[in-house]
Amino acid sequence: MPEVIGRSVPRADGPGKVTGQTLYTADIEHKGMLHAAILRSPTPAGKIVRLNADKARQMPGVKAIVTAADAPDVRAGWALFDTPMFARDEVLFEGEPIAAVAATTLAQSRAAVAAIELEIQEIPPVGDIDMALAEGARLIHPKLAQYGSVPGIVFNREGNVACKYAHEEPGVDDAFARADRIIEDTYDFGRQYQGYLEPKGTVVQYRDGRYTVQSGHQYVFNLRDRLAQFLQIKPSDVRVQGMAIGGGFGGKLDFGPEPYAAVLAKATGKPVKLIFSREEDLIAATVREGARVRIRSALDKDGNIIGREFFTDHDNGAYSGELILMAGLALMFCRGVYRTGPIRTQFRLIYTNTSPTGAYRGVSGVPMISAIECHMDHIARELGVDPRAYRLAHTLNNNEKLPNGQMLHDAAILREAYAEIEKIAPWEEMKRTKKPLEGVAIGSTVWLTNPLPASATVKLNEDGSAHVLSGTCDIGTGAMAQGVVGIVAETLGLDPANVHIVQPDTDVAAYDGGSQGSRTTRAVGRAAEHAAMDVRQKILDAAAPLMQTEAARLTLSGGKIHDIEDPGKAIGLTDILMMGAFASGPIVGTGKHAEQPIPFDPGCAVGLAFPTLPTPTYHVHMAKVAVCPMTGNVEVKRYIVAQEVGKALNPQGISGQIQGGVAQGIGYALHEGLRVRDGRYMERSLEAYRLPLAVDIPEVEAIILEHPADEGPFGAKGTAEPPIVLAPAVIHNAIYDAIGVPLNSIPLTPERILEALERRKSA
Amino acid sequence: MDFIYAQKLEEALNALRTQAGRAKVLAGGTDLMIQIARGEKQPQALIFIGQLKDDLAAVSLSQDGHLNIGALVTHRQICADRQVQASYPALATASASVGGWQTQSVGTLAGNICNASPAADTIPPLLVHEAVVTIQSAARGLRDVSLEYFITGRRQIAIENDEMVVGITLAPLPADTADAYLKVGRRKAMEVAIAGLAMRLTMAGPEIVGELRVATCATGPVSRRAREVEALFSGQKLTDELVTQGASLLGRMIQPIDDTRASAQYRKLVIPKLFRGAVLECLAKLGIAISGLEKS
Repeated sequence: MPEVIGRSVPRADGPGKVTGQTLYTADIEHKGMLHAAILRSPTPAGKIVRLNADKARQMPGVKAIVTAADAPDVRAGWALFDTPMFARDEVLFEGEPIAAVAATTLAQSRAAVAAIELEIQEIPPVGDIDMALAEGARLIHPKLAQYGSVPGIVFNREGNVACKYAHEEPGVDDAFARADRIIEDTYDFGRQYQGYLEPKGTVVQYRDGRYTVQSGHQYVFNLRDRLAQFLQIKPSDVRVQGMAIGGGFGGKLDFGPEPYAAVLAKATGKPVKLIFSREEDLIAATVREGARVRIRSALDKDGNIIGREFFTDHDNGAYSGELILMAGLALMFCRGVYRTGPIRTQFRLIYTNTSPTGAYRGVSGVPMISAIECHMDHIARELGVDPRAYRLAHTLNNNEKLPNGQMLHDAAILREAYAEIEKIAPWEEMKRTKKPLEGVAIGSTVWLTNPLPASATVKLNEDGSAHVLSGTCDIGTGAMAQGVVGIVAETLGLDPANVHIVQPDTDVAAYDGGSQGSRTTRAVGRAAEHAAMDVRQKILDAAAPLMQTEAARLTLSGGKIHDIEDPGKAIGLTDILMMGAFASGPIVGTGKHAEQPIPFDPGCAVGLAFPTLPTPTYHVHMAKVAVCPMTGNVEVKRYIVAQEVGKALNPQGISGQIQGGVAQGIGYALHEGLRVRDGRYMERSLEAYRLPLAVDIPEVEAIILEHPADEGPFGAKGTAEPPIVLAPAVIHNAIYDAIGVPLNSIPLTPERILEALERRKSA
Repeated sequence: MDFIYAQKLEEALNALRTQAGRAKVLAGGTDLMIQIARGEKQPQALIFIGQLKDDLAAVSLSQDGHLNIGALVTHRQICADRQVQASYPALATASASVGGWQTQSVGTLAGNICNASPAADTIPPLLVHEAVVTIQSAARGLRDVSLEYFITGRRQIAIENDEMVVGITLAPLPADTADAYLKVGRRKAMEVAIAGLAMRLTMAGPEIVGELRVATCATGPVSRRAREVEALFSGQKLTDELVTQGASLLGRMIQPIDDTRASAQYRKLVIPKLFRGAVLECLAKLGIAISGLEKS
């Protein structure tokens, strides 16, 4: 009988975080530690004409000033190696690092940054994807073709396009030729800042030819590898120690301040702390990319979608990060979860003279899925049919395929999710009880999980408690603090309070794909489950001689080893550890997880990093909104989520993920504009960038659906990203329902809504 | 920077005189400390008046019905004050929308007007109630200035170097009077107003306006009453057409700017709608229903 799994066990890292005892990167103090600051480009594009730090070097407290001249002349990158550590001759975005200073105090290093003489000959920036794609556009990377890349992945690159992927199923043109009607939409999506509480920061030491890096980071092995690339050293010459992390949401997967602090640490021989200011963090953050999605659907006379074109353009910013690996998502999401005819798909990632973009919860899938779901409402309205009924009539069933050939074995869960929402919010009643300028909408999607491998080690302590070592952190989701703790506690019959998570450390843990892509509970959880099973067997093996029986006759529960055939006979776990360890040696177990190949259509996937992704989960969201006719503001009156999670290891933790993800989705839909004008952000602080507040977000009604995964851990699947991915479209469609006009862009600011209301009035 | 910790009002006033323009008066500090941190203001001394609670921290009703608000009265005190809620609810609404709870708990009403931000929430309701600002100096004692003359420009106030604001006074309301403050923000709290509008409506008969006063914020460099709009309504029958006329004149009169919070065009669009909304809110508070008055 499960004792921990399925219970809302409080999280182990909670009290430390709420009482301020948890140690974050900013709290680190080392003897002789210096404080660093970065000189960043004040302009989005230009040639560096003069860079002189002579005067700044003479300023009080300054220990080192480093520039491109002090770093290896290389370009690094997650997959495409296009990124220099410091701008060398030219700057490609506002905020690009040009120099870094280490001084005794932060004020001294900031003063020295201000005193560095910098002259840039400005060039008109290629400020957005339209400019980048225009005929005769200036090339941001003239040497693009020569850049290195990771082996095995093909990046079709040309002009200002860092990566282009196209695929076509047979019969698209024929479908459009015989269509009864064609419905076309273009959707624009803005950028979104992750808005985590803790700005990026690091402390780096250089000693004995090795770098030790302390950072609150989502993916310590990626950081290690990026540092090795930039510094031209072996990855094993970098030790990354993950600190407690004050939120990341995808923004802390790549390098941040670390390479700069590393160069300064080597130059000075002292520990160097570099913490971004909030403005710096916002301007340099790898935010969710802006995107434009164009969809054309060919319909027959019965309203069936018989063909589609799906063209999705994403703003890479000036350099490439993780997004260049996301081309395959276009193939996975262009159909939505609905039957369509053949599809022509194109994904482009486009360079602009703007801050490089990256992952934010639901990486690159958010604009794609939003576009599909908005387009579905548009089609239903054009046809004069109910959008929910239209969806259900075309929703995939079990054993239907995504365009990559990946089979969705259990897509009928979508219908269960609709039915569960119907029980608490009947659609016809929701529609009937609307007041003027209120709107309702419903939408559905599939989501998949990041496939990177994981490992875990479970070390049993002499007092019967256990430590879990892995290469990933708890990013705040509870995936480690609740999920992995629960998995290990359950497997070993321990009190969850006696299972401890060790922060990731690249010197100590084996490789792990990081806290990202809804993978942690599933991937690290499976590895930890296997490690705990290994420990369990070793305990029984150690107990057998002490109990004068066979290990096969023994079982472990409630901190005791019992003889199955002689229930009165038992021995305490701590007794084994004290006595048995002399004979058996200390008890440590290891486990790992790697994805099994998923069958797909190899013809469509040439060169893709991820032609398939594992563990589809299914999601239906419903929203009710009210639009204020005076201001154009939108109030979300009700928000309902039905989410399939495999197995809810910790229902409270999952509810928290749903509430938080929806909050960020509503924020993206309504509040968080991060506008780029002439290559520069207009919103440059949290005073201007409006993250929603608790009062702006309703309490989300969460329905958790369980269809346990066969492969474990305990049936759990990825849960953390999906709550954000439907919210923008569902909010858009509810506003569409309220005002009768589609707006086709995110965020839906009061300005856009009020203008639409005025247009409607004058029409 | 010197920090002068005044124990008595006279000490603060004497310090102001001695410092001769080098000092700033510090109460809640919710604006001043940020401005100092940003280098926008560089006073050589801060005179902290937070201890002068006996003199300056009360909301009191005088015998002739005037409401006196001391210079240390915080926004949260204003929101919670029963006399303010009963007579000048628009002011309570405005104070309740200044920044967040923390700002409201230490930030003062007097500080809000002395900061004279074009987007200050409390200024429009104080303008429509013709608030009077009481100023004191060691040399010349007390003087009163109408708020309208006290604020002279964007972040400019009519105060001498040796003076400080000690209180704000509101006159008793005429009969059949109601007020409203409507604010536009992107979120429900912690917003600097994108635009704000306060109205005070006095009815002379069932459908006849005695007096209508209106003031806006974040619609120009200085919050002002819109007297041309007000004049349209005096003694007139309140009709949908008249409200439309007033709203559109107000929309033409304001001179908003484009900033990161909103475009000038949006502000021009929203202010007439707030005007109509405020008329309706005032009528609702008075329990008056006028047929034919459209909601938007």
